[in-house]
Amino acid sequence: MTTMGIIFANIYDSSLGELTNKRTMASLPYGGRYRQIDFSLSNMTNSGIRHIGIITKHNYQSLMNHIGSGQEWDLDLEEGGLEFLTPFAADHNSSYRGKLDALNSAMSFLVHSKEDYIVLVDSGVLCAIDFREVVEHHIASGADVTVVVKDGISNGKKQLDMAVKVDDENRVTDIAVDYCASEAYLASMGIFVISRERLIREVTEAVAHNRYRFERDLVMHGFAEEGMRINAYRFQGVALFNESTVEFYRNSLALIDPEIRHGLFNRSNRTIYTKVRDEVPAYYGEFSEIDDCIVADGCTLEGSASHSVLFRGVKLGKGAVVRDSVIMQGTVIGEGAELECVIMDKDVVVRPGSVLRGTKEHPLVFKRGEIV
Amino acid sequence: MNFQKKHCVAMLLAGGQGSRLMVLTENTAKPAVPFGGKYRIIDFPLSNCVNSGIDTVGILTQYQPLELNEYIGNGQPWRLNRSHGGVQVLPPYARSKKSEWYKGTANAIYQNIPFIERYDPDNVLILSGDHIYKMDYAAMLRYHEQKDADCTIAVRTVPLAEASRFGIMNTKDDGAIYEFEEKPKHPKSTNASMGIYIFKWSVLREFLIADEEDPTSENDFGKNVIPALLNTGHKLFAYEFRGYWKDVGTINSLWEANMELLGTEPAFNLYGEKGERIYARNYAMPSSFIARESKNINSFIAEGCEIYGSITHSIISTGCTVEAGAIVEDSVIMPNVVIETGAVIRHAIIGEDCRICRGAVIGGSFAPEEPKKISVVGKKKTIAANETVKPGEIY
Repeated sequence: MTTMGIIFANIYDSSLGELTNKRTMASLPYGGRYRQIDFSLSNMTNSGIRHIGIITKHNYQSLMNHIGSGQEWDLDLEEGGLEFLTPFAADHNSSYRGKLDALNSAMSFLVHSKEDYIVLVDSGVLCAIDFREVVEHHIASGADVTVVVKDGISNGKKQLDMAVKVDDENRVTDIAVDYCASEAYLASMGIFVISRERLIREVTEAVAHNRYRFERDLVMHGFAEEGMRINAYRFQGVALFNESTVEFYRNSLALIDPEIRHGLFNRSNRTIYTKVRDEVPAYYGEFSEIDDCIVADGCTLEGSASHSVLFRGVKLGKGAVVRDSVIMQGTVIGEGAELECVIMDKDVVVRPGSVLRGTKEHPLVFKRGEIV
Repeated sequence: MNFQKKHCVAMLLAGGQGSRLMVLTENTAKPAVPFGGKYRIIDFPLSNCVNSGIDTVGILTQYQPLELNEYIGNGQPWRLNRSHGGVQVLPPYARSKKSEWYKGTANAIYQNIPFIERYDPDNVLILSGDHIYKMDYAAMLRYHEQKDADCTIAVRTVPLAEASRFGIMNTKDDGAIYEFEEKPKHPKSTNASMGIYIFKWSVLREFLIADEEDPTSENDFGKNVIPALLNTGHKLFAYEFRGYWKDVGTINSLWEANMELLGTEPAFNLYGEKGERIYARNYAMPSSFIARESKNINSFIAEGCEIYGSITHSIISTGCTVEAGAIVEDSVIMPNVVIETGAVIRHAIIGEDCRICRGAVIGGSFAPEEPKKISVVGKKKTIAANETVKPGEIY
């Protein structure tokens, strides 16, 4: 039994506004030094998956730059390894309407692979998961498709791509898509297992009938119309849904909670890898005051920060105060500036003395390279 | 074999047993000793090579090579994973006629003549694996070629009072060396050799072979090869280096060099633009967490740490945990150390993978003018709860 992986790099781009204007969802920075895709890629390599296709639609230059040859994930292999499946790699001339269109464009990749099973992953949910267990669960269930689900996400407010109800043996009994499901539902984590042959067949059929969305047109349609058996794998660990700006903001600060931090990182055999940058360790100056912060390498901290995430190479000037904020790589905060509830994209320059305040419900977002 | 010619090949002498670093090098070759929070000593000469455009480096090692080998790997962190050249670890190996350890620095290079010959270099740069500095070897190489020297030796000015501890190069006005004195009682000048040499390969090769044939030779660059070149009228030049340089061969100098990284204007600046950075093998560690109850003053804290205690004027390396109520002052904490609640560490070096249990007290305080007695806890040691390691004690 062998398994390969497919990662969809741009599923929720539009809902993250300025943060994904110039990058894919997958390359969104997270946790001081990571990009979202690091979790999907690391989960795959940690689960022994050595052949991975990354499906991208647009804005994928920063993603390719980040991943390079895949060497940080030990994926710079002769056999298998990483393949970027860009729209222009297929004969289709426009971009995809949904994941089935994208998979159809990548058909020759699917056909020429040798693995028995495929794990399909969106990059919007962060977790440290062992896909071996998921695939074993899928095989043992005898189902056609397995969806990885999480309890406690459905709340009647958050719109889910897909929500399911299950019976005692985790067989799916009800499926809803694009739905603000009630607590009675389990939320799909955007992770699916299916056999490669079955996927090829389903994608070909669906696209031939002008159906292009994976959740609605393959899983729900198959379940409702064709008696497809759907199995649910209930993931017990930490799963962070990063599908909107506010979720991204909250999930970033959630790392300050040791249970969440240790649930994502510091797991044996589930290390999260990322691109290495040769930064100096973070320097804490004579008058720095850092309380409950996540701090990456290369920071020079002379001011105060509390309850915030400081990415690599952030410079915090004397007397500057940062609260409840996410400050991405290379941002420079001038002396005496005051920031509260802001998300600073990479390389923002905050002039000395500036005062910038958002709220926890509406954090202020500053674009990459902006001077404020 | 058809190998491309190299302009300059670097040979890094990393064989030192590092006996003066004692417990820190019991299972580690000296160049693999951690430094500055996330580096190892060997990162400095290796990064200097790459930043100077030298892409072929042989590392000569014989003590505890396992860890060093693993650390260097294919050389990728230093961009030295080249298909032609790159970095190679060169331990002594058994030959058909005889096998032997490296007898001295010159013998180590002699035994690796075949390695150097593969690149047919014009020049060979000889480096030492236990110095902390940033240096542009390309500038030294230009000087060497400008002077059409057979050998160029990097020197730095030391105070006259200390000159008798060093190999001193006495030079003419144009930098030509006319005399070399090893640890002179009455030094005539203050140009101390830094143990960094550039040789014309054709000349060095001839002298290495001659030196090997001389049974009375100690096969050492400073004691034998350099004097032999001088005695035969070869052109030797001194190249003056003015930047920060530190031999970290002793506990005190290792501690001092770490402390000299700290401050807003540190004596040695680790930061640099592209092309001036120090590269290191990075391990996949999450960002550090700095808790509300922590206090961090004038310190470096690398990634993968969880800091709840109080850190002043110290270096905390990757993967350390400092629990609430622990105090670390004027100390170097090497990677993956756990410091439990209430432990107090002052003027100490704590080796990799140690556990300092609750309430343990290590080291002590000194007045600014007092010589510091640095306490050392060796690699993988556990200091039991409430135990004491006295100032200057080596555990």
